[in-house]
Amino acid sequence: MKETSLDILPNSQIEAPLPSRASGIASRMMMREEHFFLILSVFIGVFAALAVVSFRFAIEWCRMYLLGTGYTLSTSRLLLAPSLAGLVIAVLVIHVFPRARGSGVNQTKAALYIYDGYIPFRTAIGKFITAALAIGSGHSLGPEDPSLQIGACLASALGRRLRLSRERMRLIAPVGAAAGLAAAFNAPISAILFVIEEVIGRWTAGILGSVVLSAVSSVVVMRWFLGSEPLFRIPVVELQHPSELIAYSILGVVGGLASVAFSTGIGVLRPRLKALPTWTQYFQPAVAGLLIGIIGVLGAPQVMGAGYEYMDEAMHGQFTWQMLAILAGLKIVATLLSFVSGTPGGMFAPTLFIGAMLGAAVGGAEHAFLPHLAASPGTYALVGMGVLFAGFLRAPMTSVFMVLEVSGNYSIIVPVIVANAIAYAISRGLQPTAVFDVLTRQDGMDLPSMEEQREEGILRVEDAMRSSTGPVLEAADSVDHAFQQADAKDLDVLLIRLTPSGWSSLAREELESMVKEGKGGLTLDSVLANRQTPYLHPDHPLDSALRYVDRWPLVPVVSRADFSKLVGVISQDDVLKRYREFGES
Amino acid sequence: MNEESARSKFQGESTINRENGQDRRFYLSREPVILTVLSVLATVFFLAVTGLSHVFHAQQESLGTRWFTRGAEDLRQQRFTAAEYDLRTALLYSRDNFSYQFNLAEALIGQGRRTEARAYLVNLWDRAPENGQVNLELARIAVQSNETEKALRYYHNAIYAAWPGDQELERRDARLELVEFLLGIHATKQAQSELIALAANLDNDPSQHARVADLFFRAQDYEHAFAEYLLSLKSGPQNPAVLAGAGRAAFELRRYPLAQRYLQAAVAANPSDASSFAILKTTELVLRMDPFSRSIPLFQRDRIVVEDFATAGARLKSCPGTVGASSPVSSAATQPNLAEQWMKMSKQVTERGLRRNPELIEGAMDLVFEIEHKTNDICGAPTGNNLALLLISKSHEGN
Repeated sequence: MKETSLDILPNSQIEAPLPSRASGIASRMMMREEHFFLILSVFIGVFAALAVVSFRFAIEWCRMYLLGTGYTLSTSRLLLAPSLAGLVIAVLVIHVFPRARGSGVNQTKAALYIYDGYIPFRTAIGKFITAALAIGSGHSLGPEDPSLQIGACLASALGRRLRLSRERMRLIAPVGAAAGLAAAFNAPISAILFVIEEVIGRWTAGILGSVVLSAVSSVVVMRWFLGSEPLFRIPVVELQHPSELIAYSILGVVGGLASVAFSTGIGVLRPRLKALPTWTQYFQPAVAGLLIGIIGVLGAPQVMGAGYEYMDEAMHGQFTWQMLAILAGLKIVATLLSFVSGTPGGMFAPTLFIGAMLGAAVGGAEHAFLPHLAASPGTYALVGMGVLFAGFLRAPMTSVFMVLEVSGNYSIIVPVIVANAIAYAISRGLQPTAVFDVLTRQDGMDLPSMEEQREEGILRVEDAMRSSTGPVLEAADSVDHAFQQADAKDLDVLLIRLTPSGWSSLAREELESMVKEGKGGLTLDSVLANRQTPYLHPDHPLDSALRYVDRWPLVPVVSRADFSKLVGVISQDDVLKRYREFGES
Repeated sequence: MNEESARSKFQGESTINRENGQDRRFYLSREPVILTVLSVLATVFFLAVTGLSHVFHAQQESLGTRWFTRGAEDLRQQRFTAAEYDLRTALLYSRDNFSYQFNLAEALIGQGRRTEARAYLVNLWDRAPENGQVNLELARIAVQSNETEKALRYYHNAIYAAWPGDQELERRDARLELVEFLLGIHATKQAQSELIALAANLDNDPSQHARVADLFFRAQDYEHAFAEYLLSLKSGPQNPAVLAGAGRAAFELRRYPLAQRYLQAAVAANPSDASSFAILKTTELVLRMDPFSRSIPLFQRDRIVVEDFATAGARLKSCPGTVGASSPVSSAATQPNLAEQWMKMSKQVTERGLRRNPELIEGAMDLVFEIEHKTNDICGAPTGNNLALLLISKSHEGN
């Protein structure tokens, strides 16, 4: 063992090494499994995309047959379609598909963290039918989250059929989720980021490869059937003057506050409706549907369904800013009604709708009152989508990339980042728990919060190490000298700097026995032979120190720039003491 | 088996499999079979969704076409609100259809909703910047919004764009519209350039030449206007409007004999054309009152000079502001004013005096021209004989 830095000391050297032949077979096996999983990811992408395409057709057919084929809808259909569909959905959700309730994001997370990747196939069927009925009949919900769940369900079913290992099973649901979301959004990068950011919560090469493959194959298949046109026809967008950033900042503030209002509404209303007598659950989606229908009859049918065509119109200046503001407010109300009533469907599309309307309204108002400050409302609609995504869904990275991917225009990255960051900060400040975490806790689960994980402080070696009180001996020093030093300063362990590099340590008892054996005149170098002590750097996670401190009583902490320079030392007591302090704080 | 027990069973199996390594062996040992089965499944699923997709898209297309047909008919009948509804519905079924969007934009323009129409057109322009119809509509919206630079850009795009049907005709019409716009904003030089380019590509249609000639005339390019009128007259010699145009262009070019000829023909062809008649009268006066015309005998010239001098004197008296005015070439302090000059010269400007001293003709006519210019500046545009004298003076300004 030449070098013993944590960076270059593999775990296998600490743990008992495998016999070489067995190790080779295991390594080959692992490699084959990796390859197989990657190929499987492509199939998952294909299956998920085919399911999502069918889901989109189903939504459209439901819309045409339930609401009619015209641009404006008749009053009777507006009132009857969502309320009657709500009744049917309630019966299906209560009696046939109980797991189809909700958006689908948390269910996928639960599969990953609680059920070892298990999602019943029936959930996919239930989600497909009930969400298509809900969205097609005009409930204010979107198809993205259900698509994500359908993708995850298919992947889980496939994994079970192939008897994948538990480790793989846990990964396969997010892989399917990314494929489903990518197909629904026609935006593979955003889908990958969302799944990494909100479902898996960590970046590793193994996961990333599978997620990317499934998302890309899914988008390719989806585009084969539905065309490669982006979700929106994006107007010409550009930052005309740096002073416009002030206008975008205002949008960030408004979006942040709207996000808080929206998530607070869900957080407050959902448990109250769930607490009502069980029989009311048969009527909750129907009543929600009726109220949404009334909103439609009163002049805002735009809030019904996913509403992509209206987002498109908002981007192209088809509404006055007053109307846009009204639509944003009504969409919040309609989505609250649909979601808290337990109607299956997603939150992505409503979030984008509210963001687009709010953005265009703020842009339009600024343009009307401060024409020098604000450019076209279309750009604000686009930025507004990202703002709500960051503020409400609390996915800051995805929110930025989503806008860039949907717009295909990188010139608006600065306003997007500015507005999203402000909205995210306001939302976090006023509503510490993200909406997905609120929902899981209301459902009695304790899934890891990705946001909290991101914010969690990591203890590092520098937080627990202490300065070395004893002298550092050189390899050329004699055993006698070392023993005298230990004796004089009453030290149990001494650190020795080896040449040309490396560190070692000797206990006082060892030195004493060497002296007794007559080896006092020998140099430390000769008695230590190849015995090296691993060393750490101050920025290493404190967890890493745990691997060594039980076997070496004192581990040197050295500078990354100069391995012979001792920065501090760390022992098992130091580590445990620091963890204890952290837990108490 | 309910879901809960299925999940428990799955979790139990999973744990056992993990412990004895069965799971990994299961799929790795059957990899070719699994991949074959998955491929077959994917193909079957793909074919099924393809079938669904055909049904779905056929239905969407049928609905889109039905609503579009209604919308196009409404648009043709100028029922713009109904057309908007129909076309918006059509767009539900084919969101990116170019024709649907273009027609919707036209319906919105018909209702005066230019901002909304522009949004659709700009989007179409992004997709097909070479499309002539889109560029022309955007140019028209820019004109109505007083965005001159944008209007010019879109008009030029339209002129060089791809057009369905008779491309040359469409391009020509677009350029004609551009010229009208330029004339409207008094950009005559730019209009002249566009007209020269336009004239180079005209065929033998006399009406086209006549229209271009009218535009040249409005752009004050009388030379090209006259040439275009003549080209138009080649194919339709009796068109009174073209004859009148040619006469006016010749009048502006101060080719008074030619002007007289065409104007006489125009008035003969259309006696109710009062405007041409008035110009003809002025032309005849110019021809009659010009003493420098080569075709008149000497004795007549002296008489014309005397008459012109008297006319100028009368004009001078009727314009009180000029009484104290002096000749622009002399200083008021050292030289007598126009009235004094006229008075002084009037004793010599007789037929007899001019016969005796022919060199006086030049001086007398110079004074006449000066008086006409000055009175024109102070008392406004003259009429009748004085107008003729002013025109004569302008004709001889370069000599």
